[in-house]
Amino acid sequence: MSYFAGIDIGSTAIKVALVDAEGKIKGVHVADSGSLFHKNAKEALRVLLEKSGVDRSEVKYLIATGYGRKLFKEADDSISEITANAIGAHETGKAYGGVRTIINIGGQDSKAIQIDDAGCVTNFVMNDKCAAGTGRFLDVAARNMDIDLEELGDYHFNGKGAPLSINSTCTVFAESEIIGLLANGHGKEEIVAGIHYSIAKRTVRLAKRVGIEDRVYFDGGPALNKGLVAAIQDELQRELVVPEYPQTTTAYGAAVLARSEYLADLKDGL
Amino acid sequence: MTNRSPERQPVPFHQSRQAREAEVMLDHIVDDFLENPAGMSYFYDLFRKVYIRGESLERQGPQVGITCIQAPEELIYAHGASPVRLCNGSYHYDQIGADFMPAKSCSLVKATLGMLCSENAIPKLGKLDLIVNPTTCDQKKKSSAMMEGMGHVVHDLEFPNVKESEASRVYWQRSVRQFSERLRALTGEKLTKPKLRAAMAKTARAQAAFRKMNGFRKSSPSVFLGKDAFLVTNAYFFDDIERWTAALEVLNLELAEREKAAFNAAQKKAPRIVFTGSPPIFPNLKLPLLIEQAGGVVVADETCSANRMLYDMTAVDEWLLNDMVDSLADKYLKPCTCPIFTRNDDRLRRLLELASTFKADGVVYQSFAGCQVYEMEQRSVSDALNKAGIPMLYIETDYSPDDMGQLSTRIEAFLESIKTRKRQQRT
Repeated sequence: MSYFAGIDIGSTAIKVALVDAEGKIKGVHVADSGSLFHKNAKEALRVLLEKSGVDRSEVKYLIATGYGRKLFKEADDSISEITANAIGAHETGKAYGGVRTIINIGGQDSKAIQIDDAGCVTNFVMNDKCAAGTGRFLDVAARNMDIDLEELGDYHFNGKGAPLSINSTCTVFAESEIIGLLANGHGKEEIVAGIHYSIAKRTVRLAKRVGIEDRVYFDGGPALNKGLVAAIQDELQRELVVPEYPQTTTAYGAAVLARSEYLADLKDGL
Repeated sequence: MTNRSPERQPVPFHQSRQAREAEVMLDHIVDDFLENPAGMSYFYDLFRKVYIRGESLERQGPQVGITCIQAPEELIYAHGASPVRLCNGSYHYDQIGADFMPAKSCSLVKATLGMLCSENAIPKLGKLDLIVNPTTCDQKKKSSAMMEGMGHVVHDLEFPNVKESEASRVYWQRSVRQFSERLRALTGEKLTKPKLRAAMAKTARAQAAFRKMNGFRKSSPSVFLGKDAFLVTNAYFFDDIERWTAALEVLNLELAEREKAAFNAAQKKAPRIVFTGSPPIFPNLKLPLLIEQAGGVVVADETCSANRMLYDMTAVDEWLLNDMVDSLADKYLKPCTCPIFTRNDDRLRRLLELASTFKADGVVYQSFAGCQVYEMEQRSVSDALNKAGIPMLYIETDYSPDDMGQLSTRIEAFLESIKTRKRQQRT
């Protein structure tokens, strides 16, 4: 059998996706990036192959993406995460009637991408330099409040009062703002909702810069957080398409591309 | 107790931060690419000499520092002095400037002032006899006083905010004549027709060589890369104009050979990019270099460190001294497409023209954080280009190397989207 893999080496997590000869998902796997990107990436690939019962030799083409893409020499090719994200979202979005705008929040950056009907990137923006409004921000906030990252969604919906406003646009200043709110005796629920709305506002502002069209697809690790999804929907005044595995869209896109590159090479007789 | 050194030894120039920064950049420019033109060696060596070894260049007469391309160089030559452009691209000097400049000011202004108050200026200048500061943008205007505070003699060259009106044209012509008076007071040399004519001829020869080089960038496949073109034009800032022109003429011969042989300096499908916005000034060639490392080619530019600086020649219709000075003034006003002018449709027209003449696939727009005029124009330029079917990538950055990883992702994605679009158009 022939399989095609995409590996997305991000700042926080490594995501691997495997598709079969028809382009259907065979398996996905997420692991921590840690400090040894290259070693952990190889290990993540190995684990996925084992889980899926696929031998390395059956993987005919592998494309790397994400910040660590250039370090992964085992890949046949590499591609920027923006293009890979667009391909993955376009493919996944078909089941929802097609998507045109993608909001992606990663560990260290957030992006908004606009694609055309064929899934090609027509425009994109990315946050400049700083990690405000990214997964890192959620991470820091959750740690301040002594909450597990996974529980943020529950806190969001359990609030009794209105979400508190978090005004600082910088992760470090927001941290002190959160500590201040806690010190003043505010409930964690209201603070969490406030954090989600603050990220939502930034993200929507970013998305408006590329232009919001049709259905909006939301992916990246933070899309697992239902509270954040609700807050963005509120700010956007639109339904979001959140895929089953939001964290692996980009790796999936790289795998889809790996398959079509391989087929194109076959056609060219390479 | 350890032995504390009683006196700090001055660091030799080549070990200084600014020299190491330049060395890293130059190594990338030279080593990351195959088959650099042999004619570029003159320029690579020149930057080694001036930026890394800190050697001084021979110059004639008093040295007149200029802070913007709007200062008429022909007048400086005609008065027997040599111009040297002070615009600086070093992150090290930017950090020094940040000590006394507002945090939100533009890197270029910060670095220039940072350099002027440091011991080691690049190029090694010694004492400047005069700095002429055209009052083009607010940050440059305000820096006159700071430069004076450092002990420099500064002449404010008053520059109008509009270029279309006849009143501002007359106002500018008068400013230029006042500048000539100032130069006469400095050098003691009176402006004469033959001297101005000779200065104009000297500059025109340099411009002709530049235009020729620029012309080669139209050819597809590309005969040479944008990083080298930027280096050549950056050398014009401080090199002796005649030596520079001669070296460029040699390079042009080689480029002509390359063109004849259909030589390709990049990959076959390399996207062709027009670069615009805040000027790339050595060693801050970060963005053009990232574009070409990612597999694109910068085929043309609309910046004040290259095309805008050398493109237009003086058009004299009456060879009388006053008319010559007026035509010279006109050359520095009318064709300028800097966004400082209010009503700036000319820049759009120029960009569209460049994109079509140089068969560009996309535009990369650089804006130094704090450079408001470029930031403000970004949207209208993007709209106009998109309407013409040319995608544009807007990047706000500064001299710091922090954002290189993120920038390379954005640039690669931009080039990938251009490639996909072209592939689709073909099939």
